[in-house]
Amino acid sequence: MLTCADFLAEFGDYLEDALSSELRAELEEHVRECKTCQVIVDSTRKTIRIVTDSACFDLPPDKVEPIVRDVMSRIRKKQ
Amino acid sequence: MAILLLSKNLIASSAFFEQDPDSTGAHGLTPDILHAQRSLPSAIDAERRLLHAILLSESRLTQLQKLGILRRVSEMGGNEHCRDLHAQILSGQSSDDSPLLHFVAKLARHAPWVSANDVAVLRTYGVDDELILEVVATTALGQMFCTLSNGLFPSEVSRAFPAIPDPGDLVETAGPYLGARARPAEESQSYAFLKEEYGFIPNLYVVQGLKPNFVEAETYALERIIRYENVLSRIQKEYILLAVSAANLNTYCISMGGQIISILGGASLEECDQIVEDHRQSQISPADKALLEETRKLAALSQQLGCSFEAEQLRAYGFTQPQIIEAVVVSSLANFLNTLQAGLGTVPDFPPRRVLSPKDLYPFAGKSRPIPDAAVPEDPDAELVRRVQAGDVEAFEELVRRHSRRVFGTLAGLIRNMDDARDVTQDVFLKAFEHIGSFQGRSKFSTWLISIAVNTGRQLLRDRKPLEPLEEGDDEGFRPRQIQSWADNPEQLLAASQRNELVRAAVLRLPEKYRIVVLLRDIEQLSTGEVASALDLSIPALKARLLRGRLMLRESLAPHFITRGQREP
Repeated sequence: MLTCADFLAEFGDYLEDALSSELRAELEEHVRECKTCQVIVDSTRKTIRIVTDSACFDLPPDKVEPIVRDVMSRIRKKQ
Repeated sequence: MAILLLSKNLIASSAFFEQDPDSTGAHGLTPDILHAQRSLPSAIDAERRLLHAILLSESRLTQLQKLGILRRVSEMGGNEHCRDLHAQILSGQSSDDSPLLHFVAKLARHAPWVSANDVAVLRTYGVDDELILEVVATTALGQMFCTLSNGLFPSEVSRAFPAIPDPGDLVETAGPYLGARARPAEESQSYAFLKEEYGFIPNLYVVQGLKPNFVEAETYALERIIRYENVLSRIQKEYILLAVSAANLNTYCISMGGQIISILGGASLEECDQIVEDHRQSQISPADKALLEETRKLAALSQQLGCSFEAEQLRAYGFTQPQIIEAVVVSSLANFLNTLQAGLGTVPDFPPRRVLSPKDLYPFAGKSRPIPDAAVPEDPDAELVRRVQAGDVEAFEELVRRHSRRVFGTLAGLIRNMDDARDVTQDVFLKAFEHIGSFQGRSKFSTWLISIAVNTGRQLLRDRKPLEPLEEGDDEGFRPRQIQSWADNPEQLLAASQRNELVRAAVLRLPEKYRIVVLLRDIEQLSTGEVASALDLSIPALKARLLRGRLMLRESLAPHFITRGQREP
C-alpha cells in the first residue's frame, strides 16, 4: 500500500496523466482510501482549471495590431 | 592573446594583480580577454586567483620555465598569437627543459594518452612530485587561457599545429602518479567547500596535498564560476562540464559530473550517460543541446581537430552575450580540470559508470553519428519562417500577429509589469527577426520565440536586481498544508474579474523559477516538452518545478475556494 509521500512523489505525473496504467491504478487506490490526498488531488485540479481559464495576463485584442505595426515599422526602418 | 600579454606583465610586476584588471589599459596593454569578461566579475576574480596561485606564488619551477610551458601549450593548441607572444618574451633564453616540455606537449595535445610511464620518464630526470604537480597545473592553466582565447576571439585564432608523435594506443596504468595523499586542512575554506559540495574530498584535490594554495584557488574558482548563478543556470554549467569532459575523454570528470547533476536534480544518471554518449539524443532542451554542441568544440581535444566555436549558433537559441561568455569561461574551467586530472592520473572516487576511450572521440557527431531528424514536421509556422529566411520580410508580419499575445503574456507574468511587457514584446520580435537566419527548426518556431522572450525577460529582471547566489530551493520538498475540501464549483464563488485578479496576484507572488513554468504550462498552455525546451530545463526538473508552483498557487487560492462551512468568518 502506498503512503501519502509515495503518492506526492508521483503526483506531478499523475496530474499530467503521464503514468503507466499499473502505477496509476495504485495511486488511485491510495486516493480512494486517503481523505487528505483526495482533497489535494481535487483542489489542485481545480487550481489548474481556474488558473488555465483565467485571462490574467492577456493582451487586449485591440493591442495586437499596434504591436504588429510597430515591430514591422522598426524592421522596415532597419532594412 | 591578451591573457598572455598579461602573464608577461605578471612577471614584470606581481602588484599588477592587485589592481583592477580594467585599469590595465593605462599600462599600454589591452587585456582583451579580461575586458571581454567584464560582465562576469566573479569569473575574472576566479581566474586571477588561479593565476596568482599557479604562476606567481613561490614555486620550484622558475618563472621562465612556467612561461616556456605556457608557450608549449599555446603551440599545441594551435594558438599562434599566444605562441608568438611567448616566443618574443622568451627570445634569447636557452631552454634545457626538453623532457619537461615533451611531457607538457603530450598533456596539452593528447591528455588521455598520458600514463604513469610518461611520469616515470620525468622522474628519471630528477623531477619529483612537487615539480610534477607544478608542471601539470601550469599546463592546465595554459589550456584554460587557450580556451578563453579560442572562445572569446575565435576569428583571431589561426591554427598551425606542430607535428608531434602519434600517441599510439592508450596505455592504461593505474594512477595516481604522485605519492602525496593529503586532505585539505579541516579548517580551510577549500575543505569546507568540498565537503559541502561533494560530501567528501574528491581524489583530484587529495593528490594535490603538496600545494594547498592550488587547491584553495581551484575550489575558489569552482565556487565563483560554477556554484554561483550568474547568467547561465547551475545545471547548464554542470552540463557543460560534463560535455566538455566527455569530448576530452575524461572518465574521472564525467563520473563526477554525472553524480553532481543527478544530485542537483538536473537529470538522472542514465540521462547523464546519454549526454556523455551523444547529447543530441538526450532529453535536454534544444537550446541546451545547442549549448553543448558549441561548448564541446572548445574541449582541448576538439580544438586539436580544428573545431571552431560559433557564438552565433547560441544567439540563435536566445542566449545572451553574457551567457555565451560564461559558457566559454565554464568550458575553460572544464579543460583546466580535465588537464589537471589527466596529468595527475587521479582515480575515480567511485566506480565509473562509463570508461571513455578513443573510439568515443566524436566532437563532430553530426558527421559520424547523424542526428535523427529533430525538426518538428508539424510546426504550423514552418512555411512563414522559411519565407522570412529567404528574404521575404513581410512574411514576418503574420508571425508577429500569431504570437504577440503569447509573448506578451509570458513577459507580463515574468517581469510583472504590463506596460513594460508591451515594449519588451517588440524587442523580442526584433531579436527573433535578427536571428531567424540561424533558426534551424530543431524546435517549433513558437518555442524558440518563447525562449527568446524568457531570456530577455530574465535579463531585464537581473539588470534591475543585483546578482544573487544560486537559489538552492528544493523543488521536491514542498508539502501541501491546506487540506480542507474545496467547493464543487469554486469558479461560481467569485466573478470572473475577481478570479482573474486573484490568480494574477497569486502567480506574481511565486518565485521566478516557479512563476515562469506555471505561466508557460498553465496560462500560455505550452506542452511540457515545449516548456522544458523554452526554459532549458530537463523534463524531470520542469515537472518538479511545475508541481511545486501549482501546489503553491493552490495554497494561495484555497482560502477563497474552500467549502463555505470551512471558511473562516
